[in-house]
Amino acid sequence: MATARPGWSRRAQYGLFFSFLALIAGIIVGVIMLVLSLVAPKSYEGIRGVALDITGPIAASLHSVTATAKGLVTGAGDYWDAASQNANLRREGAEMRRQILKANAILQENSQLKAALQLRERTRDAIAAGRIVGSSFSSPRRFAILSVGANDGVRVGMPVRSADGLVGRVIDAGALASRVLLVSDRANIVPARLLRGGIPVISQGRGDGTIDVRPLEVGRNPFKRGDIIITSGTGGLYPPLVPIARVVKLDDDGAVAIPLADPANTSFAIVEPAYEPAATDAESVAGPGGP
Amino acid sequence: MVRAALSGRQIGKGPVLYAGFIPAISVVAASLLAALPIVSSSGWYPDFGYLVLISWRLLRSDPWPAWWAAPLGLVNDLFTGAPVGLSITLWTATMLALDLIDRRTMWRDYWIEWGLATVLLAIDEWLQWRLAAAVGADVTGWAIVPPLIVSICVFPMSAWLVARIDRWRLGR
Repeated sequence: MATARPGWSRRAQYGLFFSFLALIAGIIVGVIMLVLSLVAPKSYEGIRGVALDITGPIAASLHSVTATAKGLVTGAGDYWDAASQNANLRREGAEMRRQILKANAILQENSQLKAALQLRERTRDAIAAGRIVGSSFSSPRRFAILSVGANDGVRVGMPVRSADGLVGRVIDAGALASRVLLVSDRANIVPARLLRGGIPVISQGRGDGTIDVRPLEVGRNPFKRGDIIITSGTGGLYPPLVPIARVVKLDDDGAVAIPLADPANTSFAIVEPAYEPAATDAESVAGPGGP
Repeated sequence: MVRAALSGRQIGKGPVLYAGFIPAISVVAASLLAALPIVSSSGWYPDFGYLVLISWRLLRSDPWPAWWAAPLGLVNDLFTGAPVGLSITLWTATMLALDLIDRRTMWRDYWIEWGLATVLLAIDEWLQWRLAAAVGADVTGWAIVPPLIVSICVFPMSAWLVARIDRWRLGR
């Protein structure tokens, strides 16, 4: 098709013409599928799940290789300057022990108060635990691939957390793997609050691995560097009191924070049921914000 | 004319088996790089599938029947998690656009190819950015600049690799 006319052959000329038609048909089909995936993301759930089941296990099996390599590098790094690290760790350990004692006392008091108020505790059992084995490479969106899927009970809309903090929520679930919308994605808006003072804030990803936090009430900027943002449980999707991010930079009306659960270094991520199941039902009707 | 016997090449070496499918297979393999266990928090990696596709198409006009771009795009969409239809549309439109450009251009060199690739990659990034905005992930425009620069810098490497694969598959 490099030349305007492929010679005198009728066959070649028709071939050229039909290949142009095929291309135009391909573009039309593509646009239709694209519009469908924007307005009705649910329509591709099945086929996307199958694709996840192909890539997920590959990533999971390669993950152990890279984890070992990474472990060797950081392991060697740990020996460097071990003496002063040791002293630091000892100091931190002692500090931690004092804080744990304090926290235990607070927990006890808390349970007494709750009993007095006759508050019902919601039990939250983990649905599945998996590893984060991959992520979106080249897109303004921030997805991660989790090595557990529908076979383990994972459903679209479930929140995902790790020991360090909130990771995100499930948006595609294959049988063997699932795709997680990370908290650093622009479309992931998490109702949150400041750990210090409990001021309600909104956390929204910035698409580059960081998070924007804004106070709900306009006025004085309540953030300080080093502040911890935790989920508030409002909206019913994410459980309350899960740490999300640490503030690193202030701007005019909010702050930029870094997620506490770094998906690159999270060894295990836990999928939990939605905090209030009614919320995810509404969520799944509205669609997961699109892929 | 270089005589075959003097060129140091093995005589009787022809194209490898299924040489006609190797370009398409290499594009699928590039899309499958999305399955690598790399967790990127910034998303600055290039769009490997598209890079390899335009490398092939700029290297030669017939790496595959033009309409194959649509199924290849579907595979890329599914593996990378992009909105289904994005790569189908973009890749087919790329094939069409390059066919039309081929009718106009009198000559080509590496710089023109790199320039063309830059324009195509910029369109790709821009499209991904606007589509993300359409589904509620409206990141700032500056966010697409670093991945664009990375993919522009990676293009010569991909073009070189594709040229090597082409020589191997044709037995040259």
